[in-house]
Amino acid sequence: MIGYVPGSTVAHRLDPRAKLAVQVAFAAAAFAYTTPRGLAVLSVLALAVTRLASLSLASVARSFRVFFPFLVAAPLVATVQISPPAIDPEAAVYPALSSYRVLLVVAVSAAYVRTTTVRESRAAIQRTVPGRPGVFLGVGVSLVFRFLPLIRREITAVREASAARLGTERPLIDRIERVAVAGATRTLRRADRLSTALSARCFAWNPTLPRLSLTRMDVPALALAGALLAATLFRAV
Amino acid sequence: MATNTESVDLVGDEAATNLARAALFAALVGAFAYVSFPNPLSAGVPITLQVLGVFLAGIMLGPVWGSLSMVLYLAAGAVGAPVFSGGTAGLSYLIASPTLGFLWSYPFAAAVIGLVAHRGTSLSDVDAVPTPVLVGAMVVGTAIIYGFGTVGFAVIQYDPWYASLWQAFVVSSLAFVPVEAVKIAAAVGIVKNDAIAAA
Repeated sequence: MIGYVPGSTVAHRLDPRAKLAVQVAFAAAAFAYTTPRGLAVLSVLALAVTRLASLSLASVARSFRVFFPFLVAAPLVATVQISPPAIDPEAAVYPALSSYRVLLVVAVSAAYVRTTTVRESRAAIQRTVPGRPGVFLGVGVSLVFRFLPLIRREITAVREASAARLGTERPLIDRIERVAVAGATRTLRRADRLSTALSARCFAWNPTLPRLSLTRMDVPALALAGALLAATLFRAV
Repeated sequence: MATNTESVDLVGDEAATNLARAALFAALVGAFAYVSFPNPLSAGVPITLQVLGVFLAGIMLGPVWGSLSMVLYLAAGAVGAPVFSGGTAGLSYLIASPTLGFLWSYPFAAAVIGLVAHRGTSLSDVDAVPTPVLVGAMVVGTAIIYGFGTVGFAVIQYDPWYASLWQAFVVSSLAFVPVEAVKIAAAVGIVKNDAIAAA
């Protein structure tokens, strides 16, 4: 699983907004240039980005493994023609390139995930989305980060307790119900306690955010994003 | 730290409760992505509970907050919370992955399920909603999720996308649709459960 790892790489020191811009621009360029040559250039770029974040490609591939069956099946199914029944290998070319393109974009966004703290992401969201919607997204996102491990642990405990009492022998629907009822009731109760605690601590629409400032270091990243977007637009017209 | 000199603008109690519920429900859907059960219909495709989480968000939080909860789920996953299938995270899953249609459908599905189940945007007593209405709401929700999912898959993988919808459906959805009946049945049981009514 790819997650934030503290460090002092170039990617760690960039402004999160610059990193988000690079991701979006990279994806746009990958869609505009889904050709062998275009993807070869973008592969070099993706490799450079993962290097800057000292992220190994093997760990990116491992995190992405649940999606491999789809990426392999998509080109294979494309070769099947129904009327007249035939196999057309040519038809697999574009879907195969698309599958490869997904890997590249995933690698670039994994570099963001590895090098950006929740606080930075929250600040980036709230400085990008103005007003209360931005606060809602920022606060909500940091709460999800905070409570995901707790809720996961509770659900695991429920499943283990159920398994110890031969719950695994029960019908499937019954097992799903048990896990979900325990998960949902605890989550709602916890949410009510949390909202009381938030209100008690002056939960406000205008809290103080960590300072974010674009520095000289961000110039190359923003230039890269600009160049990729320009290349995409050039292709579109 | 940046300095803020304006006066504090407090969040009201009701908004704070709704925000906390939406955020924690988003985390619950993320946690459901890790819960897998063996599939009785096809052994290779495990059953995960994410979609059940979407159903419950629409029914228990209502159309507005259920949908916003799913927006938080997507935003948190985009900036790195490991909440997407298989514990993955990253903006790429929302903008370039072949499964992006499924993810983007969640806020819409939760909203429609909530609208049908509560017959409007205000929250009514879930216990009083007749079972056929609940089932109907979730069937519509399932159609939205797989409709978005199939179109998304075709757009990402095939060119032109509209000529390859059936291939996209076969690869992305066919194996998963039958299991949704199990989740709908479970969701009805969950909503009618006494522990949920008390929460």
